Amino acid sequence: MKIPAMRTRWRHSILLRSALILAGSLILVSIITISATIVVTGDREQRAATERLNHLLDTVESTVSIACFVKDAKLADEVAQGLLKNNEVRSVTIKADETELTRKALVTATQDQYSGKLRLTRDVHSPFTPNKIIGHILVEANSEAIEHDINREVQFVILQIFGQLAMVTLTMLAVMIMFIVRPIKAMSDGLHRMDPTSGGRLAMPKGHDETEIGSLVNDINNLAGNLVSAIDQERTLRQQKELEEKKYHSIFENAETGIFIVAQEGTLTSWNPAFARLMGIPLNDNYQGTLNMRQLPWENTSRIAELALNCHLDNAVLSDDLTIRLRNGYRRWLNVVLTPIWEGLLQGVVHDVTEHKEAENTAKRLAITDMLTGVANRLGLEEKLHELQHDPLIAQTGGFTLMLADLDNFRRINEGFGLPIGDSLLKDITARLNHGIKGSDTLARLSGDRFALVLQSVVGGENIDRIARRILESIHKPFLIEGSPIQIHASLGITTYPEDGSDTPQLLRNAELALDRAKAAGGNNYIFFDQTLAEAVEQRRRLENDLRQATQNQEFLVYYQPIVDLTENRLAGAEALIRWQHPAHGLVPPDAFIAMAEEIGLIDEIGLWVLDVACGQLALWQREGLDRYLSINVSGRQIPNGLPPDALADAVHRHGIDPSRLALEITEGILLADISKALNWLNAVRSQGFRIYLDDFGTGYSSLSYLKRFPVDTLKVDKSFVRDMHDDSSDRALIEAVITMARSLDMKVVAEGVETVGQLNLLRSMKCQLAQGYYFSRPVPAGQFEAVAAQINALLGDPASIPA
Amino acid sequence: MSVWPRLFLALSLSLIPWVRANADLVVVVNARSGVERLTTDEVINIFMGRYRQLPSGIKALPIDQPETLPEKARFYRLLVNKELPEINAYWARLIFSGKTIPPQQARNTAEVMDWLTKKRGAIGYIERSQVDSRVKIVLELEP
Repeated sequence: MKIPAMRTRWRHSILLRSALILAGSLILVSIITISATIVVTGDREQRAATERLNHLLDTVESTVSIACFVKDAKLADEVAQGLLKNNEVRSVTIKADETELTRKALVTATQDQYSGKLRLTRDVHSPFTPNKIIGHILVEANSEAIEHDINREVQFVILQIFGQLAMVTLTMLAVMIMFIVRPIKAMSDGLHRMDPTSGGRLAMPKGHDETEIGSLVNDINNLAGNLVSAIDQERTLRQQKELEEKKYHSIFENAETGIFIVAQEGTLTSWNPAFARLMGIPLNDNYQGTLNMRQLPWENTSRIAELALNCHLDNAVLSDDLTIRLRNGYRRWLNVVLTPIWEGLLQGVVHDVTEHKEAENTAKRLAITDMLTGVANRLGLEEKLHELQHDPLIAQTGGFTLMLADLDNFRRINEGFGLPIGDSLLKDITARLNHGIKGSDTLARLSGDRFALVLQSVVGGENIDRIARRILESIHKPFLIEGSPIQIHASLGITTYPEDGSDTPQLLRNAELALDRAKAAGGNNYIFFDQTLAEAVEQRRRLENDLRQATQNQEFLVYYQPIVDLTENRLAGAEALIRWQHPAHGLVPPDAFIAMAEEIGLIDEIGLWVLDVACGQLALWQREGLDRYLSINVSGRQIPNGLPPDALADAVHRHGIDPSRLALEITEGILLADISKALNWLNAVRSQGFRIYLDDFGTGYSSLSYLKRFPVDTLKVDKSFVRDMHDDSSDRALIEAVITMARSLDMKVVAEGVETVGQLNLLRSMKCQLAQGYYFSRPVPAGQFEAVAAQINALLGDPASIPA
Repeated sequence: MSVWPRLFLALSLSLIPWVRANADLVVVVNARSGVERLTTDEVINIFMGRYRQLPSGIKALPIDQPETLPEKARFYRLLVNKELPEINAYWARLIFSGKTIPPQQARNTAEVMDWLTKKRGAIGYIERSQVDSRVKIVLELEP
C-alpha cells in the first residue's frame, strides 16, 4: 500500500508556526522591554534632571544665600534669570523667610501640559550661621525637555530592539530551515517514497549522523525493520491459522460425527452437516440461530435438558445415550457428549450408536438365552428368579414354584443316536414343556438335558402335583426318532418360594436335591423338596469332611479275607479290604465310603496307601516263607492315572516282592469307560508281572467277548450267583459255564461268598479253583490272620470238608 | 595622608586662640547709643548689611578697622569665621544691587575711635585695652 505524498500546507508548516511563535514572543519581549525602557529611562531622566537641577542650585547656593540674608531681590532676580538660561528650568522662585524675593518663569504655549511634573525646593541657609534657615529656593523643571530626551532614548531603544529581534528571528528561521525543516522534509519525502517491505530505508540527511535527526532516522529505520519482520511473522501466522481453520472447517463439515454448539437457553448456534443429517434438520441456513434443542426430535426432551443442566452445573464433560424418533418413525440411539467450552456455551458431539445399542441388546438377550432351544438359559433363569423375588405382586400372591426337570438316561440317547438327534430331541422336549405351561411361566434349559420351570402364582400342593404329572406325561409320550418311537422319562425336583429357600442359590440347590432324590428313586417321578433332603445332604457333607480327616489321621485299616485253593486244599492268599475306623461311628465298610472317596478325589491317595500296606504284608509273608498272594481292589477312577503302572512297580520294588504275588481286582465298570486307556493300563500292568482279577463277574453289562479282548488272569464270580446256586439251577449252570469257559481261556475262577460246606462241595464238584467267603473266614485284621490261616488249614485237613 | 599629620594640624589650630588671648577684641558702641548689650547675631546682621538699626532704634553705623590692621581679619574670623577675601567677595555680590553697603572703613584705629565717639549709631570693634568711657562694650568676642 502506497501512501499518497502529502504536501504540507504552508500555514501548517513548522517554519511558519515557529516564526509566528517566535515573532509573537519577540514582540511581547519587545513590548515588555520597551515599556521597561520607558519606565527606566523616564526614571533615570528624572533623576538625571533632578541631579542636574541640584547641581545648578549648588552653583547658585551661596549667592542665593547672600540674597536671602540681605533680602536682596535684585540679586535674587539675577540668580533666577541665570537659572532660567538653562533650558531645563522652567521657573524659579526665591523666598527669604516669608518674603518672596523673586519669581521667574519661561513663558511657553504648553505651560499647563508640562507644569508641576518636577519641582525642587531647597532651604537657603544663612551664610554665617549654617544652621539657620533664612529662605527657600524653588525650581520647577522643564518637563518638555526631559520628555523629549526620554522619547529620543526610547525611540533609539525601540529601533535597537527591533533590529536585534529581526536578526534573531531571521537567524532562528534560517537555522530551523537548515537543521530541522529541511531534514524533516527530506525524511518525509523519503518516507513517502519508501517501501519498507522491499527493503527500502530512509537515507541519512547529510551531516546528521550524530544529531537527533540522525538518531530519529535510525529509529525510524529500526522501527521499519521491526514492523516488516512483525508483519512477516503475522502473515505467516495468519496463513498457518487460515490453513488450520480450513482444516478444522473441513473436519467439521465432513465429519461423520454430529457436532454442535448450544447456548444456555438451548439455542443451537452452530452445527455441522452430520448433525443435521442425524437430527433430520434441512440442510440450509434458515434455521441458523433460531433452532432450539427442544425442537429436535428427542423422545424424551427432559433428559437432554437435564444432561445440559448438569453439564453447566458441574462444569464437566458429561455423556449419555439418548433416543430420537425420526419423522419416518425410526428410533435411533444417539450418544451425546456435552463439553462446557466457555461461559454459557456447550459443545456437543453426537454419534449414532443405534447399531451398537441393538448389538448390545442382542448380546444381552443372547446371554440369557439358550442357543439350542431358544428358551432362557441358566443366567436367564437366575434373572427371572431374582426379578420374581423382588416383585411385590409375588409377595402378595404367596410365592412361586421352581421345578427342575432332568431326562433319565438321556446320555444314552446321545451316545446311541449321536448329538444332532439328541439336540433335535431336546428341541421337541422344549416344545412339549412350553406347551404345558402358561404364558406367564418361564421355561429354561440349564444344561444338557436339565430344564427348569418357574410357575408363577402356583403354590398349592394339589395344583403342582397335577402340573408335575402333566409334564411327566407329556414327555412320556413316544418321540419318533429315525422313524422309530423312543420313550423318554423325566424326573422332577420341586421347590416353592419362599418356603423352600429365600434366595436363588438356595432354591436351585434344594430343587436339585429333590431332583437327585427323584432320580435316585428310579426316575420318571417327581419329588417335593423337604427338609430331610437337606439334612441328608448335610450328613453327607459331614461324612466327606470326616473322610478327608481320616486320610490325614490314618483312620484306615486293611482287613484280609482268606482265599482258598480248592484243588490243592490250602490257603492260597487273601483279598485286602479297606476298613475305616471312624472315631464316632466305629468300623465303616468300604461300600459306605469308597464311592464318596471316588467322588471327592480321595480314592487315589487311599489306593496308594492300601497298595503300600498290602506290599508290606506280602513282604512279611515272603520272609516267613509262606507261599501266599494278595489281591487289592482297584476302582475305575484309579485307572489309568490314580494308580499308574510305575507306582505299582515302585511299590513291589521297595518291598522286594514278586509282582506276581499281587493281584489287582478291577470291575467290569472300567471296561465301559474309555476302553483304550483301560486297555493300555492293563497291558502295562500285566507286562510288569501283576495279575488281573475281574471282580463281580456277571453283574454288569459286560459281554463274554470282552474277556477275549481284555488280558485278565482270574474271574471272581459274584456272591449272588454262589448264594443261590443250591436253589437256582440256572445260577448253577451259569457258574459251571463260567468255570468251563475260564478254563478254556486259561483263566482261574474265584467263587465269592462261600458260606456253607454245601456250596463248597458243589464248587469243588464244578472244579472251581478258588473260593472265599464266611465259610472260611470273615475279613480279619492282619494280626488275626495267622490264627485264621491255622483254622483254615485245619478245616481243609478235616476230611469232613473234603468230599469223598 | 596618614592620620598623624592631620591630628597634628588640628591640634596646632586649636592652640591659636590661646596664643592671642591677651589681644581680646570687643564690640563697642557709642556710650550714648542706648544699647547695653548685643547678641552675636545682632552684631552679624549689622556688620553684614542685613539690618542697619540698633535695638534702641538708632540707625546703626558699622565701622571696620583698616584693612592693614590684623584686627579686622581677627574680628570677622571670630564673628562669622570667615577670612577677609571671603568677606570682600560677599560684599562684591551685593555692591551693585544697591540694597546695602559694607561698613565704613576707617583709615586707622584712631579714626575708628573718633567715629565711635562722634556718631551715636556707631558700632565698631577694638582691642579691650583701647576701651574707655566714650564707648560701651556690647559684646565680647570669645576666641
